[in-house]
Amino acid sequence: MKIFRLAIGMLLWATAVVVLSADQPQRWVSAGGSLTEWIVVLGGESRLVGIDTTSQHPESLQALPKIGYQRQLSAEGVLALRPDMLVGSEEMGPPPVLDQLRKAGVRVETLSADANLETLHSTLDKLGAWLGTPEDARQQFNQYSQTLQQLKARLHAAQAQHPAPGVLLLIGGTGDRPLVAGDGTLGDWLIKQAGGTNLATQTGYKALSSEMLAGLDPAYIIIADRRLEGAAATQALLKQNPALSQSQAVRSGHVLPIDATVLVGGLGPRLPAVAEHLAAQFYPQDLAEPVAKKP
Amino acid sequence: MSRRVSPKLLLTSLISLTLLCVWLSLALGPLRLPLGETLRALAHLSGLPVAANDQALLVVGQIRLPRTLMGLMVGAVLALTGVAMQGLFRNPLADPGLIGVSSGAALGAALAIVGAEYFFALPIGLQPYLLSLFAFMGGLIITAMVYRLGCREGQAHVATMLLAGIALTAMAGAAIGLLTYLADDTTLRLLTSWNLGSLNGASYARLWPLLGIGLAVALWLPRRADALNTLLLGESEARHLGIDVERLKGELILCTALGVGAAVAAAGLIGFVGLVVPHLLRLLVGPDHRMLLPSALFGGASLLLLADIIARLLLAPAELPIGIVTAFIGAPFFLFLLLRRSV
Repeated sequence: MKIFRLAIGMLLWATAVVVLSADQPQRWVSAGGSLTEWIVVLGGESRLVGIDTTSQHPESLQALPKIGYQRQLSAEGVLALRPDMLVGSEEMGPPPVLDQLRKAGVRVETLSADANLETLHSTLDKLGAWLGTPEDARQQFNQYSQTLQQLKARLHAAQAQHPAPGVLLLIGGTGDRPLVAGDGTLGDWLIKQAGGTNLATQTGYKALSSEMLAGLDPAYIIIADRRLEGAAATQALLKQNPALSQSQAVRSGHVLPIDATVLVGGLGPRLPAVAEHLAAQFYPQDLAEPVAKKP
Repeated sequence: MSRRVSPKLLLTSLISLTLLCVWLSLALGPLRLPLGETLRALAHLSGLPVAANDQALLVVGQIRLPRTLMGLMVGAVLALTGVAMQGLFRNPLADPGLIGVSSGAALGAALAIVGAEYFFALPIGLQPYLLSLFAFMGGLIITAMVYRLGCREGQAHVATMLLAGIALTAMAGAAIGLLTYLADDTTLRLLTSWNLGSLNGASYARLWPLLGIGLAVALWLPRRADALNTLLLGESEARHLGIDVERLKGELILCTALGVGAAVAAAGLIGFVGLVVPHLLRLLVGPDHRMLLPSALFGGASLLLLADIIARLLLAPAELPIGIVTAFIGAPFFLFLLLRRSV
């Protein structure tokens, strides 16, 4: 009897899975760096059949067909992958191509890439529903906001002892002509989460003259180099911008390289860990290097 | 000059080449359709009672057909106006950009891409076409300015016009540079790719204005072939031979401004075609505009279609900007012709 019940139970479960998954798109194309990462985190990697050029992480996806830059998708190119679903940020386009894809029966979903938690919440909710892992998605979000909350609390305590350091976040290619993250960028968000003060006052990413850079005299420089990692990125930056060598950051060895791919798209899954890491550098006495909580 | 191809033969082969390119453009794409499907979809689209599969209908009818027609028109118009400008300036190095239409269009596009949301409010129905409208208007305005600057006492001085074109192009370039500086990363990227041109996203709504203007230009310019031939002798000679030279100049400039403006508005800046196709055909058929104009029409159309097929297949499922491909195909071929001739 037990076996019989078990069999019935399994049958019901199998039906439920089939019924539920019938509503879920099976072949996904993702056009957006952080969205792709979230899809992978939520267990959708096997459903991805194509990605755009901003989806650079994780490495395991790089074998997938590339549909080009998110703003210049080709209707036929995407159709050739026979997707059920195309997800991307509001930058995805051009609009006529999205129309053509919709006409061809592809579900086109636009998810905002704005850098704030409410947006991330709704993005994860939707992705969870479409991937059939709503519980997982909810958990991921809770953990995400909790990590940031805790960090904020610890920073609050730390900032009572030490003033927030002035920080610049530079995006460069082998150190050349770095762009400085200003207001409204993900880089700015990251600096704030890590308890720093962004010294750049402009909006968006802008190239500043090396005189300006030196004049701002940051206590910390975060370098996100698209081609180099780690110490090599730091070296390249200093070689190309000798004026920086007089800044506090360089003199006290406070140039922090980070992975440039975390800054593509909206709030990606790796950002809290990066923020914790940066915060530990900004407030070395108060915040020890956190227990790695990588998603 | 004995290597010159017989006109009839050249024209026939160019027409066949164009037809071949049209067929390839309809049949090839990143989405592989069986030959039969493509044919059935085409038959269905032309109103024959043939059943066709939905996907083939969509791909051929909504994606490839407008794209092919757009490529045909853009290529034809760019090459034709190239001939017109080389005839007007009596200089084989002239191209449609010389009278400022390309730089004006680029400035308009840059304004639309970078500044639209701040400066302009358009009715919602026109919003998707903002870029095209601005590019078209920009081309017309700068060309009109160049023409006005070149006019003295009722006569358009070609040399003054050329210099005015250079000056205004430089100014437009500076303004574009300023807008580029103000732009953020993503708009910058959009601007760059617009400057390389693409037929991606061709739709009927974008096609019709181009088709209308392009056809008008393609029908009108060849009628002025004789006058252009006479102009080769020199302006005063042409005047003595009874050509209304001022009117001719005005017509050529108007055709170029409208045609290139519409082409650029539809597909972005596509370099090379307007300069080199006329040049290349002149090497083949000689300077007679009665031959040059029709062969430029078909030559330009074929080159552009061919370039577009490569652009969409080479990196599939992604796409290459077409301006890169036109130059990569055209330039070596052009060099080959040049070298062969001098031997």
